[in-house]
Amino acid sequence: MPSHKRYGPLGKTVTLSAGLMLAGSISAQAQDIVVWGGFPELTDYYERVAEGMSDDYPDLNVIVEPIGLRDHEKRVALALSSGLDDATVLELIGSTANRYIVNDLLPPAPSGVADFVNDGENFEPFFRDTATVDGSVYGVPLFRGQGALFYNTDMLAEAGLDGPPTTMEEYDDYAAKLTQRDEGGTPTVSGWSLRLSGGGAGIAEKFWINMHQHGGSVLEQVGDKYRAGYANEAGLAALRQYVNAVSGDKTVSIDMPADAAAFQRGQTAMFIRESWVIGDTEKKAPDLNYDTALLPRGSIALPVNLYVSGGSDKAQEAAWAFAIEANKPEHLIWMLDNVGWLPNRVGVDYSGVIEAKPQFSAFVDLPEDYELFTLPSIEPINEILTRFAAKLTEAFADPSLAGDDEAIMAILESSAEETNAILDRAGILAE
Amino acid sequence: MLRRKKFLFAILAIIPTFVIFGWVRMFPIIETLRLSMYDWNLLSKNKTFVGFSNFSQLFRDDQFLDALTNTAIIAFGAMAVTIPVSMALAGVIYHRTRSRFAGFYETAVFIPHVVSLVPAAMAWKWIFDAKLGPLNAIIMSLGGEAQAWLFDPVLSVICIILLVSWQTLGYAVLIYLVGFRNLPKSVYEAARLDGASGIQSFLFMSVPLLKPITLYVSVVTLISGFNVYAQAYVLASDTQGAPGRLVRVLVLDMLENSFQNFRVGYAAAEAVILLSIVLVLTAVQFSLLRQKGGN
Amino acid sequence: MSAKARTRRSNFLIDVALFFICVALLLPLIMLIANAFKTPAEMLQWPPTLLPRNPTLDNFVTVFTETPLLRWMFNSFAFASLSMIAIVATSALAGYIVAKFPFRSINVIFILFLTTAIIPFEVYMIPLYFQVKALGFLNSITGLLIGYLVMSFGIFLIRQNVIASIPDELLEAARIDGAGEFWIFTHIVLPLLRGPLAALAVLAFFQAWTAFAWPIITLTRKTAFTIEVGLANFQSAYTVELSLLSAASAAVMVPSVLAFVLLRRNFVEGIAASGMKE
Repeated sequence: MPSHKRYGPLGKTVTLSAGLMLAGSISAQAQDIVVWGGFPELTDYYERVAEGMSDDYPDLNVIVEPIGLRDHEKRVALALSSGLDDATVLELIGSTANRYIVNDLLPPAPSGVADFVNDGENFEPFFRDTATVDGSVYGVPLFRGQGALFYNTDMLAEAGLDGPPTTMEEYDDYAAKLTQRDEGGTPTVSGWSLRLSGGGAGIAEKFWINMHQHGGSVLEQVGDKYRAGYANEAGLAALRQYVNAVSGDKTVSIDMPADAAAFQRGQTAMFIRESWVIGDTEKKAPDLNYDTALLPRGSIALPVNLYVSGGSDKAQEAAWAFAIEANKPEHLIWMLDNVGWLPNRVGVDYSGVIEAKPQFSAFVDLPEDYELFTLPSIEPINEILTRFAAKLTEAFADPSLAGDDEAIMAILESSAEETNAILDRAGILAE
Repeated sequence: MLRRKKFLFAILAIIPTFVIFGWVRMFPIIETLRLSMYDWNLLSKNKTFVGFSNFSQLFRDDQFLDALTNTAIIAFGAMAVTIPVSMALAGVIYHRTRSRFAGFYETAVFIPHVVSLVPAAMAWKWIFDAKLGPLNAIIMSLGGEAQAWLFDPVLSVICIILLVSWQTLGYAVLIYLVGFRNLPKSVYEAARLDGASGIQSFLFMSVPLLKPITLYVSVVTLISGFNVYAQAYVLASDTQGAPGRLVRVLVLDMLENSFQNFRVGYAAAEAVILLSIVLVLTAVQFSLLRQKGGN
Repeated sequence: MSAKARTRRSNFLIDVALFFICVALLLPLIMLIANAFKTPAEMLQWPPTLLPRNPTLDNFVTVFTETPLLRWMFNSFAFASLSMIAIVATSALAGYIVAKFPFRSINVIFILFLTTAIIPFEVYMIPLYFQVKALGFLNSITGLLIGYLVMSFGIFLIRQNVIASIPDELLEAARIDGAGEFWIFTHIVLPLLRGPLAALAVLAFFQAWTAFAWPIITLTRKTAFTIEVGLANFQSAYTVELSLLSAASAAVMVPSVLAFVLLRRNFVEGIAASGMKE
């Protein structure tokens, strides 16, 4: 167990001030750096990175503490707003980090690190830019969340389907053919698993991915301002598809097991997810026969970068060194192979892993016209998505919407008004 | 002289507690009241004074109104379940005070109250699970139709009410037990001699006599009902595979506004509304109590 | 004779009914414990099984090796015990003072205590967070404790008990014998309050033991987590098997329930004592 500074059970108010002094003196000597992540499956990867540093930093103690993404984002908000005691490596989605940077809560990277990030041999401009604000580098790119279709090859073969669907119309046809039902007609295995319930922005993010295939975007950028972009044909097509799957064709129901767990247990035939499912499935369902496919039009690409905050200069320097070490080819290849997240660094030979696991090809062999999109770096992004998600979940669960385009459009319009009101409040509403 | 000595002792003895109260209760409460008038995004150093604008926005905010409705339904629902059930249970347990199982009854009823929320919610989450849970298994084996407990807009609220009631029941039973033990025995003797059955004397004597206790228990259950958070959080948390419908409650909305939407002033305004609701309800209940006391 | 037999029969029926009600109330927890011994495959079976078919300890092994569960239990225990001590101490002293020292300033203080009793913790949790942060006590038991040092209900409970069970004459007699005020408190008042203080101790302990919202914002260090936070985070991590969660839950639940069962007698009697001696 790594050692940690603790104040001990100093319960009495009298000793509070003594505790304060103690805290100050210990953190001055500490050689600790902390790694905060929102993806628990990366724990082993970070531990390996820490081990890789042990030659250059023999006294360094790296404490790796990943938790679930939602809780992670909460602790980052709290910690950065009040200041971190230890030098901490923060794993953050570029769009999330932006609001801390504009409020001066994250320091820019030292010049050596900035050079590493700016080097075209290391990162493509897209990823470099997500770690850069106003020309200064603040973070080190690491990996990205990118989606593709996962499908159960056995189920497709059984249904007589040859190859994955390539258009959104085909998705519906496939879902209908792949759904397995009991005598009463209730689906027991969903044809296409959709994110239909739960809390938070994830629902809207998944909707966005689907809507992207219909040629739209939840938020439209005009100059440096934004407006709701879903009260239109593309938004209608996307929501209609959800409503139809739940209440029309009934290829999926809200209370069915969903997502990777369902896919690994054979409870769904297809779903769209990021590449980590490959690593996860290898652990949990090694015998599953499945493949991946490109999405019809393009995918989300959410870049995750490493940032540093808190602690003494010396500890911060070690924390930046950690972010660089994390990008060493051997660690990145290990991450791709064992965890399944897609490293962003170029010039690393990933071919061994991709050949051994052909499912990765739908994530890396992208055609020229494949359109990647990302979440805009605006302060109210989470609020917009969460509120939109609340409207969406109501709509998914409303059978009266099936076949009623007007009603669906009305929901989208009222939600778009709300989205625009939030943008307006933040002063970034496009006319 | 003696009086002054007494006064000095009293003040000295109460000061530590008073200071702690001021520091960990009154100060943050006043700070909440103050923040509710500001626009502050948690991250910036500037707080902008906005007067009551947070409040006027709140009452146009669907999400907040949804949270308010859900929370009120849960709080009153849990009270409606807890009060009659705990009173009846306490009556029966009191009746069997001399039974050798009395200790078991008291303990069993109270245990849900001392179990950590997360494990308890986890247990219930499995029970309510639409595809794997025993509740639907029982319903189906009795010929009923399986329900999507955690997904249906109405049922998911009922699930939370059940979970909250299950947790507060033990405490309520305990308070009622104390009440039963303090009831004048002579009245019951007289009633029994007049030929009143156990149920009759429960309904026509215990229930009215226990009114002060009922008021106390209803204050406690209502307040804890308005603070419901962990239950909603765990029942719909983002465990992938099988999330449930997120029942938005006030505390959850408040925390989300603070830490995810970075609107601390707005969240403080919500806290102030929660505070006013609780204060009004308590005042109503105590004034009812006073009326009864006067009779 | 027949009336007595009838009473006995009805009592027996009541006992049976009560027994079933109690088992029903405990059933969710019993099922949770049973799930802890099931294999992941059995958890996915339909219809669900009540008792594990092939009981396994694997879940417990995994949970104890993959999470610092014992550490979390220790943290919860230390936090709950210290909170209990602080609450019992402050409530005993303050409750006695407000009951027996009827000065106007004391009354005002008492009313302030009472008003804050009904204000939910969640209302002022966020400003309190910044206070704790300013002191540098995040991620520590001290920081947790700051939210749980006092309990208005405790002061109220002790006050009621003092009024009900400690006659003024007793205190006056001691004063006439020349006893100091503090001596009176420790040697006369405290021994008489043993019952209600024990009850308050149990209440305070479990209030801290089951605290959720406060620990979840003040604790970010895995090693500083309490059980509630640890389990909540454990569950929000990707695809965690329900059997593992059940094992973790069962492992932390059983000792706390046992502790309660052992303390129960003190507890129920302490609460009940509040009015019995009138």
